Amino acid sequence: MLRRFRSLFRVLTGRRDFEARMTEELRFHMEQYTCDLVRSGVRPEEAGRRARMEFGSVNSVKGDCREARGLHLFDEFLRELRYAARLLRKTPGFTVTALLTLAVCLGANLTIFAVIDSVLLRPLPFPEPGRLVTIFNTYPKAGVERDGSSLTNYYERRGRIPAFSSLAIYRYDTAIIGEAGTTEREPVARVSPEFFSTLGAGPRMGRAFTEEETTYQTDSVAILTDAYWRQRCNADPHAIGSQIRVDGVPRTVIGVLPPGFRFLSSEARLYFPLSSRPEDRMPLQRHHGGNVIQTIARLKPGATLGQAQSQIDTQNATLEADDPQARMMADAGFRSVVVPLHADHVAAIRPTLLLLQAGVLALLLIGAVNLVNLLLIRAGGRVKELAVRQALGASRRYVVSEVVVETTMLTLAGGLLGLAVGAGGIRLLAVLGAGRLPLGGGIAFDARLALAALAAAIVMGIVLAAPIAWFNLRRPLGNALQSESRGGSSGRAAQILRHSFIVSQTALAFMLLAGAGLLGLSLKRAMGVSPGFRPDHILTGQISLPWKNYRDRAARLAFVETLLDKIGHQPGVLSAGVASNMPLSGKSGKSAARVKGHILRPGESPRGHYAYWVGGDYFGALGFRLRAGRFLTAADSRRTERVCVVDEDFARYYWPDSSALGQRLFEGSDEGVDAEAFTIVGVTGRVKQAGLTDDTAQGAIYYPYVFRDDSNIFIVARTGLPPESLGLTLQKVVRQIDPDLPLNDLQSMETRIADSLAARRSPALLAGLFSAIALLLTAIGSYGVLSYAVAQRRREIGVRMALGARPEQIRSQFFSLALRLLAYGTILGVIGAWLAGRAMQAVLFHVPALNLAILAGAAGVMGAVSVVAGLLPAHRAAKISPMESLAGQ
Amino acid sequence: MGKTADLLPGTLDMLILKAVSLRPLHGYGVLLRIRQISGDALEIPQGSLYPALYRLEHQDLIAAEWGQSENNRRAKYYTVTAAGRRRLREETAGWNRLASAIAAALKATSEEV
Repeated sequence: MLRRFRSLFRVLTGRRDFEARMTEELRFHMEQYTCDLVRSGVRPEEAGRRARMEFGSVNSVKGDCREARGLHLFDEFLRELRYAARLLRKTPGFTVTALLTLAVCLGANLTIFAVIDSVLLRPLPFPEPGRLVTIFNTYPKAGVERDGSSLTNYYERRGRIPAFSSLAIYRYDTAIIGEAGTTEREPVARVSPEFFSTLGAGPRMGRAFTEEETTYQTDSVAILTDAYWRQRCNADPHAIGSQIRVDGVPRTVIGVLPPGFRFLSSEARLYFPLSSRPEDRMPLQRHHGGNVIQTIARLKPGATLGQAQSQIDTQNATLEADDPQARMMADAGFRSVVVPLHADHVAAIRPTLLLLQAGVLALLLIGAVNLVNLLLIRAGGRVKELAVRQALGASRRYVVSEVVVETTMLTLAGGLLGLAVGAGGIRLLAVLGAGRLPLGGGIAFDARLALAALAAAIVMGIVLAAPIAWFNLRRPLGNALQSESRGGSSGRAAQILRHSFIVSQTALAFMLLAGAGLLGLSLKRAMGVSPGFRPDHILTGQISLPWKNYRDRAARLAFVETLLDKIGHQPGVLSAGVASNMPLSGKSGKSAARVKGHILRPGESPRGHYAYWVGGDYFGALGFRLRAGRFLTAADSRRTERVCVVDEDFARYYWPDSSALGQRLFEGSDEGVDAEAFTIVGVTGRVKQAGLTDDTAQGAIYYPYVFRDDSNIFIVARTGLPPESLGLTLQKVVRQIDPDLPLNDLQSMETRIADSLAARRSPALLAGLFSAIALLLTAIGSYGVLSYAVAQRRREIGVRMALGARPEQIRSQFFSLALRLLAYGTILGVIGAWLAGRAMQAVLFHVPALNLAILAGAAGVMGAVSVVAGLLPAHRAAKISPMESLAGQ
Repeated sequence: MGKTADLLPGTLDMLILKAVSLRPLHGYGVLLRIRQISGDALEIPQGSLYPALYRLEHQDLIAAEWGQSENNRRAKYYTVTAAGRRRLREETAGWNRLASAIAAALKATSEEV
């Protein structure tokens, strides 16, 4: 078999050679034979004639030879290809419409699929990625869904969970790299020694971290990513052993990672050991994760997620047995959850992506239905021709293969155009911020995707051919030959098919339209949500204070005070403040707090609240509303009394009927000594912390900045100018105070808010685009089918008009057909829209599955488009002249 | 030219394999050789020779190569391949069995029934 293929392949590649040699060989034969005949005494002219006669037809011998080589199938295929190409050229309007439809539909699918492929399908770039899991602590009843892992968790778990072959922790961070004056803030990751071996991908040069390098005294080593090594070390092959300055302290480079290394969506350009003090690893710190440190682990071969989960559960139960906090944690619903790393990383975006893919598939379906309709109409015009050919002996197989070749050629050409559309679409997605999706950095148009798209195009060609082939083979030959009109009455089934296609198309387009409407409305409602402060004219930025120079609270406070003082004196600055975190920053800064005198109800646990440490005029700069008491001021960081401000959610939770002012609370989950209590001096309005669409009333506490032990600060400045224009000034001010300190992440608050809605805006935009295309396709489809119906019944219309029917009657007949199809389609569409709306609930914000305004709007748009698409053919029908139509046949 | 016999179906391939197994031949040579080794008894229909050659080549039973003919013309020469030789042996054996069986059957007399 293989040999024959090879022979066929050889011949196909040298087809022209094959023909020339065959001709030469046969001519040689004739000449030799003629010679021999002459030699045996036959007269030359007689010899030539006899040779030709005995040989028979050279052409038929050649044909037999080709067939012996398996070439006839190929020739037949080429013939069909040429025939199909000729047919398509003869109807340029149809061909162009079909190609554009295919290009847009396949391109849109390719675009979304590229995202799905990168985010959901492609395995993580590590060996046996299916065995990688992550573990996080959750305290659902305290309102803390996700709290990462603690150092204690890590030290207690590693080596003790039999289902894991390896377990590691990591923490994202930033660090200031470089010499004074030329420093830059770089994203980094701090990882435990087994991090790289757990992933199964380690440094290409040098070594990974060791156990000895996990204390603050011994951790001055670094591993570089390939990108950093190339850009900052000029790809120096002797970089190992060299020193870089990190947060003012030298570190030795001990390794360089391979070029493709990227952990999930991490931007980290350098890796440092995750150091800690022995006291950070004690059982008391077990629940102090704070969602900063995350765990990854690799399952042993053969071990299951379930086994790992039950081993973790068992260990937790054992450890908690002698933990004084155990009761409280149990009340908080504490559990450590083991989930697959990849699935967990993309869990939030998954429903949106699947929704978009469903949307583009609906679009593809509409396009396919359109094409089948157009192809059916075309086939209707060729009934007689086909019947004649079948009568003359064209086999059923031939009729079918001819259709398949034609549709496949069409879909393949459309697919090729679709590749271009898809490439453009992927570009568009990049503009919309697809690169910021989890694993979105890998979205790319590659050969694999192109092949998948072309394969899909071929499959589509074959699927499209089925109804056409059925149509071509269905009718009895005699009928088709006898009926003098083009379709005759036998087209009834085909007509029903065409009309039901229009109905389903209308329904699908309606669904898409309504879905896009729901997303749009959801976006509008999200945008309409007040963040709880005035976001206009605010510039924000981040600074990370290196531990070396800002070891204690006094040093940090001194820096902050100088900074705020200098910023306050810049022209255009109205007020400025700092904070450990910011609303909508994407960082969940929840931590526990205990209200003095609050007796936990049975089953109630200390709650996690958003906690902020603020300095300067933070509240004034952001424009918070004051409900009671006063805001914190810069002076509160200098005084010894401990005061704090809470928001109204917090106040309402603990003191629903009385004032929160004067009440006291403790940082952390335990009630401490009175000297450590913070007195509430003010109640602010509610602020959207995690996002505009976050509806949970979690409560927030604002402490004076001085009580914070963290090096990362956000700066907020309110200005009378366009906020971006203040950026350079702020950077200069910071450098004046400390030339080592870069100020990064400069963005206006409004930009931050807009970015926080990107996950809603982009899908809504795309869905709007898809439904516009769907509308256009549906209009083309209805118009095509109705026009065909008019053309097909020209004669009938002519006769009726000759007998006295008025043009209005004709017009309304066709127009009412269009309206009927629209009505059926809309009814189905409403049902579909309801189902789609229910499936979309997860991604909708304050929008029910069925929204009357949206349904009415969708019906209105759909109706307007269908009416136009229906009016034109109906109008044409009414203008048919009886004389022409009767004479025309 | 003596009396010629019609070819039995399926025997053409066998004869071609036999002819080219003796020495490489071009198409016309195959025709002459079969006539010669059959003692002028077998006449190959010229039109069916070439499709048969192409089929055998396609099946890799014979191989073709361009070379010089006796009168210095370019001609396509066929040689038998190892697979062709094997096939020829099998077919010869099969043919012999068939021929002797038919001969035995035709020799039968009424006494033996």
